[in-house]
Order: sequence, then C-alpha cells, then structure tokens
Amino acid sequence: MTEVPKIVYDRLRAAPPERATLGQTVRESVHPDADLLTAFAERALSAAERDGVLQHLALCRDCREVIALAHSDASAAAAPTTAGTESVRAPVPAKSRWSWLSSPKLAWPSLGWAALAAGVALAASVLLLHPGKLKQATLSSANRRVAPSALPAGPQTTSAPGVSSPGLLSPTASAPTTSLSANQFSVPPNAASVKTRAMQTKPELGPSKKIKAVPPLAVQPGMMLADNRKASIPGHNRAAVPSPAASAFRSEEPGSRNVTQNVEVAGAAVGVAVAPSPENTLMAQNTAPAIEKAKPPLPETAVPETTVNESQKTAGVAASPEVRLYGRDVMSAGKRAPSSSQPSAPNVAWTITAGVLQRSQDSGQSWQNALRADHPLLCYATRGAEIWAGGQAGTLFRSADNGLTWVRVQPSIKSQTLTSDITHVDILGPMDIVLSINNDESWSSKDGGKTWAKK
Amino acid sequence: MPRSAQSGQGADAALYERSGAAAYGVSTDQFVDILDEILRKYLPKEPSLKSTHTAPDQSMERRASFCNGLRLEELALARACAAGNERAWQDFISRYRQKLHNMALRITRDAAHAAELADSLFADLYGVNARDGRRNSKLVSYTGRGSLEGWLRTVMAQEFINRYRKQKRTVSLEEQTEEGVQFAAAVPEPACAADPRLEAATDEALAELSPEDRFTLASYYLDGRTLAEIAHELGLHESSVSRRLDRLSIGLRKRILAGLRMQGMSHAQAAEALETDVRDMRLNLRSRLMQDSDAKTFPENKVQAQDAGDGSAD
Repeated sequence: MTEVPKIVYDRLRAAPPERATLGQTVRESVHPDADLLTAFAERALSAAERDGVLQHLALCRDCREVIALAHSDASAAAAPTTAGTESVRAPVPAKSRWSWLSSPKLAWPSLGWAALAAGVALAASVLLLHPGKLKQATLSSANRRVAPSALPAGPQTTSAPGVSSPGLLSPTASAPTTSLSANQFSVPPNAASVKTRAMQTKPELGPSKKIKAVPPLAVQPGMMLADNRKASIPGHNRAAVPSPAASAFRSEEPGSRNVTQNVEVAGAAVGVAVAPSPENTLMAQNTAPAIEKAKPPLPETAVPETTVNESQKTAGVAASPEVRLYGRDVMSAGKRAPSSSQPSAPNVAWTITAGVLQRSQDSGQSWQNALRADHPLLCYATRGAEIWAGGQAGTLFRSADNGLTWVRVQPSIKSQTLTSDITHVDILGPMDIVLSINNDESWSSKDGGKTWAKK
Repeated sequence: MPRSAQSGQGADAALYERSGAAAYGVSTDQFVDILDEILRKYLPKEPSLKSTHTAPDQSMERRASFCNGLRLEELALARACAAGNERAWQDFISRYRQKLHNMALRITRDAAHAAELADSLFADLYGVNARDGRRNSKLVSYTGRGSLEGWLRTVMAQEFINRYRKQKRTVSLEEQTEEGVQFAAAVPEPACAADPRLEAATDEALAELSPEDRFTLASYYLDGRTLAEIAHELGLHESSVSRRLDRLSIGLRKRILAGLRMQGMSHAQAAEALETDVRDMRLNLRSRLMQDSDAKTFPENKVQAQDAGDGSAD
C-alpha cells in the first residue's frame, strides 16, 4: 500500500483554514454551495472553478463527505434497475463506505451473534409454546412505541403464533428461516419504503416478531433451509409458510417439505439476488417481521410499487452492510409498518407534507391531499380504514372511511380543550386512542375519542 | 438598439423557449431575471443580459455559452415551484418525491432517518412558511449548474451531515471506546511535536501540490476513500489514482528531504528525521485503515439505535 511519511499525514490534517481566492465563485472561508458541488461532481465546471472547488475540498472534510455521500454511486443510483452493479461495486473496494463492515463492531458479533441467537432460540421456543406470554411481551415492549393495534388487519392483534390470519401473522410466527433467506434483500427496502410512507404509524409487533422469528435462525445461512426443517418447532409445523409471497401462493401449508418450494417461490417472486452472509441472515431475522407485516396478502412481485422495486434495487441488493443496517432499524421500521396500506387497499400510502396529510393510491407515485386543517398536521395513525390525524394547536381529525370524509375531534378534559400540539397518535384498539402532546402529556380515550383522560 | 442587445434578446428568447418555463407560468422577463441573477453570481464581471451597455460580442458569447451550459428546464421547474406554481409542483412531485426517499435511504442507510430526512427536505423545498403563508422554498437557490437531482442529493447530504454527523461527533469518543475500537491516532495527535523543521518542510511540500493532488491525498489518507471512489469523483481511472498516489508519496518524501537539507540538515539527519516517522506511520496507517475509516458510522448507528430505541428490542 502506498504510504506517506507520518509527518505528511499530520500536516494534511492540520491544514490551515482555507486560503484566500479559491476562485471567482468560491469566497474565502465559505463552503461551495450545493450548485457548485453538484456541478463539480457532474463535471460541469470550468477548469478554474474546478480547481477552486478542489482547493476547498482538499481542506474541508465535510464537503468531501458531501460529495462522497451524494455522488459517489451516481452511476449506480441513476439506474436503479442495475441491482447487479451495486452489489458488484459495493464489496469491491477494500476500504469503502462499506468498510465499517470490518469494524470491530462486526468482529465481536461472530461469537456474540451465535450466543445471542442460541439464547433467543431458547427463549423463542419457550415463548412459542406459550403464546400468552408472547402477547404480553408484545404489549409491554409495545408500550414504548404505542399502537399495537395499528397493525394491519386490525383484529389480528393477537401475536400468538398459529393464528391463521391471512398471511400476516402466521407467516412470521412460523416462518422464519426460509422467508428470511429468501427475503433478505427484499425485506429491508420494502420495510424501509413502506415505513417511509407511514412514519407516524407505530405498530410494534416488532419485538415479538423478532423473538418468534429468530429461533431457526441460529445457523449459518447455508444451513437455513435444512435447518428450518429440523428446527421447526414441534406442533408448529407452519414452519413452511415463509414469505408473504409464498403465503400468497399457498398459504399456511404446513410441512417442511414445502420449505424448499416456498423458498423458491419466494425467491422467484422476490426476484432479487440473494447473497447469504451472516449479516444478512441476522438481518433478515429482524426484518422479516416488518416486511411480512407490511405486505400480507400480496406476493411481493405483485406489489407494483415502483417505490418498492426502486428501493429494492438501489438499497436492497446493495451489499450486506445495508441490509444489515436495516436490521436494527427495520426493527423500528417494522413497528411502524403502515397498517394503512393493508386491508383497505394495498397501494395506499400516507404521508404528511408541510402540514398536510396526503394519500397516494398508487404506492407513492402520485399524491393527493387528503386533509388540510387550519393548523399544520404533525402526525397520523391508521388502523384498517380508520385514520386519525393530529397537529398543532390540538387539531385532531378522524376518518372512518380511509380518508374520504373527516370529522373533527376536540379532545377535552373537564371542559378544558386541548390546545397544545399533538405530536403523535396511536391507535391501540378499536376505540383506544392515545395522543402524545408536545408538553409531554399523554391523552387517551377509550371510547373512540368522545371522552379523554390525561396521563 | 445596439446590435448586441438585440442579439441578446434573441438569445434570451431561445433560452426561454428551451426551458419550457412558459408551461409553468414563468414569463420571459422573469426567466431572464433569473438568468441574470445566476450570471451575476458566477460571472460577476459580466454585464447582465439586460444591460443596455454595449457589450462586446465576445462576452455575449461567453454569457451565451454559460447559459447554454445550464440546465434550463430543471431551472424553470425549480424556480416555478419556488414561486408556487401548481403544475410545476405536480411535475416535481411526480418526478422527485420518490427519488428523495431513495436518495435518503442511500445516504443515511437507515430506514428511520431516511424518512425523516426526505420528508424534512421536501418540506424545505415546499417551503410554506406557516406564519405568513409566504413561500420560502429552498428551490429558489437552485441555479441549474448541475442537474436538479444531483442538487437535491447534495443538499440532502449536507443536511444529513449537519444533522446526524455533528451529533455523532460529539459522542464518538465514548461510543468508540465502548465498542472497543482501537482508537489509534484518530484522536488528535499528541503534541509530541515533530521537529518544527520537519513540519515546515512538509507544509511547503504540500503547498506546492495541485488542488487535485491535495484532494486525492486527503481523500485517501484522511477520509479513507477507496481508489474507486476517488477515481469516480475526479473522473479518472482507478489505476490513474493509484499511480498518482504512488507518485505523490515518493515526490513528497523527496521534497521534504530537500526542504530539510535546505534548512541545514545533513542528508543523513534529514533521512533519519523522516525515517523514524515512516516507521511509526506504517503502524498507525495500518491500524487506522483497518479500523474502518467509517468507524464514525457505527457510533452513529448506535446513537440512532438509541434514538429509535424506544421501540427497538435491541
């Protein structure tokens, strides 16, 4: 490797603040604006301007980082369909953005994960045999993020495995490894894109799912399928129902003999190259729940969203680090899986933009304003066709028909109306609503918003 | 009317038409004003298009070629959005809304923050100021020198760094210690100062480098970028970057030695002053490089995980 004398390194770092006259357009001690940086990256600058920008970049770490973050994969990103490109580029550089993979953080896991997985497997097998406990576990961890029932297909809030809810919960309950291996790439991006559309919804089956999903996972990726067969928990032969895709094709067929088939189906459905790796494996375990929650009855391919596909390709097939990273956060993403897009219409997505609640009927390709209140809206939650949207100055609206019509709700306690900002809404049950207020209060209603109590 | 002004107007019209600004409710005059503003920014010595002074044909040409190098359509779209044009917003949203999310995902590599980043940038772009209802959109600063999509990426990356990196930096020390990261010399160099003559010679040598060379050195040694990344940023081939780095490291050594000798050291002394460091350097470089240069990323993750930790079972 090329080396420079240490002193060079030192002096590079200790570089004096940028000197004067970096070129016409770059004034001293000012970062080049976004236009210049972009033009630099796209090679649209004159030689003099380019030198000026380079001069600044040589001294300014932040700007170098901006360039690297924003433009390093420009060619790959520009063609989101070339998933292969990404996966090829990413792992190639020895010291790349992905180099954090080799960071100590991942070093310890090899042992740690095994231990962790083993421990979780143990816990999971216990929990799976005791659905009741699982539900409790669900709710308790749920309380942190709220809205357990902001789940898709409301009634199926029970997190007990073996519940034959359409493709939603059962797959996760049983399905761990196969779905995971098949979905490891599809999962994160789906979860991610799905999540981005429904940030405000905060389901939390996440933790419980994780526990459930983990058991068969305590293995090497290569072993996953085989393991699934062996590891199927007695009395839990749903092990064969892995991914949503698979479940769509043949839901809930028990028996490990289906494992392979399901995987293939799922794999085909997903259509994403799978590059097994320890990280991916573990990742998958965390993300599977999320994805399955998000897209229950639909085979993955059937989900038309360009959004999903795009992010799949741009983000998903990218090297394992990305996948792995999603693991942790798709956990939370999973909890936020947009229940909204589920039961009513698979392609419906919600977002709040500049205080206005918007809905998309086509998975994010186009948006229409769904609710504009006299104050900016800040949050929303959905549960089936029911939607609550809250905002500044105690603004609160409710819709029972997926956003077609809205009714204003004025939370009040002892005739004192809420006037602070509602920063978060959670729908815990059919009539169970919780509002988080920006003054750290929490208002809850058990009767669908007629009466409220403060916590 | 002076000929140059006439041809100037003709050029304006052509630019205006190419931009398609009319479809977004932007008049010729408005468009020309925008171009003027951009010209003033980047070619401060040039008279504006609307100037009634007699402008030499040459500078007209330069102005024209500058304007021709701009992304006129994207400029029109962006400025029309900034002005609140509905149709412009429809187009913008349909083209870029989803891209914003994808970009955010690539930049943050974190689903949770990606959504926040994308939404928040979009809100900035949309720019409705709640108070007086006037639009205060970030898009008004887009000048069309680069693509709109590239600009959005850059802005988003800047926002990301401001928001999340800064946060990370303050905790990085503890985080990294916890994670057991070999902190090597990423910490501020101890003041066991190098020989001041050595420093001076090195500074001089560095100062003589071209901006591109300095950028390459900094990217490679300070940021830990790969040859491929640097090559991409500079529009070079990877092997060129590699050769350049080799050339630089050899050249720097020579220069520094020469500088030291000019300060009165003998050749042997100079070599020794440098040699010792090189040995240290190898040690540090390797550990630094093996310790991912992006070590900062994972303390960030940890921070993020903690932030998102309310629900995370981690």
